[in-house]
Amino acid sequence: MGELTHDLIIIGGGPAGLTAAIYGGRAKLRTLVINKGTVGGLVNTTREIVNYPGYGQISGPDLMKDFKKHADSFGVEFLGDEVVSVNFSKEDKIISTKKRKEYTAKAVIIACGSEPRLLNIPGEKRLQGSGVAYCATCDAEFFEGEDVVVVGSGDQAIEEGMFITKFARKVTVIVLHDEGVLDCNKVSAERAFQNEKMEFVWNSTIEEVLGEANVEGVKIKNLKTGRPSELACQGVFFFVGMIPSTYFLKESGIEMDKRGYIPVNDLMETNLEGVYGVGDNRVKYLRQVVSAAGDGATAAVAAERYIEELNAFRTSVMKSDKKVLLLFFNALNNESMEFSTLIEEVNQELSELYKVVKIDTATKKSLAQKYDVKIVPSVVVLDRGQEIKRLDYSMDKEKLKAQLR
Amino acid sequence: MPLEQLNAKSFEEIIYDNEEPCLVIFSRKDCHVCKNVVPVLEELQPQYQDRVGFYYVDVEEDKNLFQRFSLKGVPQILFFKGGEYQAKLAGAVDEDKVIDKIAEVLES
Repeated sequence: MGELTHDLIIIGGGPAGLTAAIYGGRAKLRTLVINKGTVGGLVNTTREIVNYPGYGQISGPDLMKDFKKHADSFGVEFLGDEVVSVNFSKEDKIISTKKRKEYTAKAVIIACGSEPRLLNIPGEKRLQGSGVAYCATCDAEFFEGEDVVVVGSGDQAIEEGMFITKFARKVTVIVLHDEGVLDCNKVSAERAFQNEKMEFVWNSTIEEVLGEANVEGVKIKNLKTGRPSELACQGVFFFVGMIPSTYFLKESGIEMDKRGYIPVNDLMETNLEGVYGVGDNRVKYLRQVVSAAGDGATAAVAAERYIEELNAFRTSVMKSDKKVLLLFFNALNNESMEFSTLIEEVNQELSELYKVVKIDTATKKSLAQKYDVKIVPSVVVLDRGQEIKRLDYSMDKEKLKAQLR
Repeated sequence: MPLEQLNAKSFEEIIYDNEEPCLVIFSRKDCHVCKNVVPVLEELQPQYQDRVGFYYVDVEEDKNLFQRFSLKGVPQILFFKGGEYQAKLAGAVDEDKVIDKIAEVLES
């Protein structure tokens, strides 16, 4: 077991990752945040946040600067790089980056978030930067006095659409749903309906972005009648939802749903021990700054306890002066419980020649894996951390004793 | 190393008069995608020293420059050679895409 570079590595520097970093740093864990691009993640694209407790109104980038400063104050390390692959098969987690560096840690928190989904329709990619856009703050101004189409009806689509009306002559929103139904919050919907520059095309989707060198229009398909139509415009903004940025985890053994979101339990634990999933990249109900922060805190505390247990195991087992009996059991398996009692008894009779360490295979999967234990009960005998033998299972006290003498 | 910023006047001199192969990123301060792409160029710049010029244009400060190329968004990287516009890259591009494009422009 070589020296690890860190205790805790957090992949992603959005609100979930930064909160985890604050908790990790405060718990005196050697904490590293690996972040691609600007710290703050997708929150940076939000002009105005009005639902983060304690901040009446703040811009996304400003709020993230505060998060970052807070993490800095607890001595968290930051690295601007991109994680390209991970190896989570062993207790020591290995992370490889685009700049060809390798980092190792006892626990990893995945907070890589999500990215805008592409529709993959003709013209979308070809005309990017020539009228096809994904960020109103960046690009709305380029459409001064022109006609713009917005695709989507979520919070982002409607709020960004209204921002674009400050520059554009007209903004036409293409909505999948029936007339009057938008996916966004009610306040924004009302404002949008009252905005004279906003128009809506209902029950529709777009099939193609038209134009040679620049966007000249879009091809719209009515989902009810199937009828296609064309609408002239100079710009198209896509806000058609997000996909999790978890593609680099494909080979990692982490469980993901078919869209790439990571399912976790209450402790933010993934199916792999010591690996946690937080924020937008996990399966969850609400994707906001405040819920991301909550995820980050939970995962960091869970990771801290996990690391503590790991360290305790290392000192109590690997560095024990006495020989150690690693007893693998499962609380649901009666046989293993009875065997456990017997082992204790035998050890007493041998005047505590051994130190008995019990391991529940239901929660300590990686230890069971490490010692290649497939059935319970199993006993591995260690001398100064090295395996010297395995006991043959027997409920006969004398036979057991004979093996231990 | 930060990229050298161009204004309308220095743009003329460097891009059209000197005719050196170069790239120019059109960017703006409050664009988060730009903030991710600019560092990519800053890191690449030393590798191309004396071969390709790396420049920066702020579209808010020099409106007429982006209007001249009828750009519809930032960030966009425009490539020039022999005083002529060659190609462009739009949006969130990574190192590999820039390297490939530079090679393409240099070979053409």
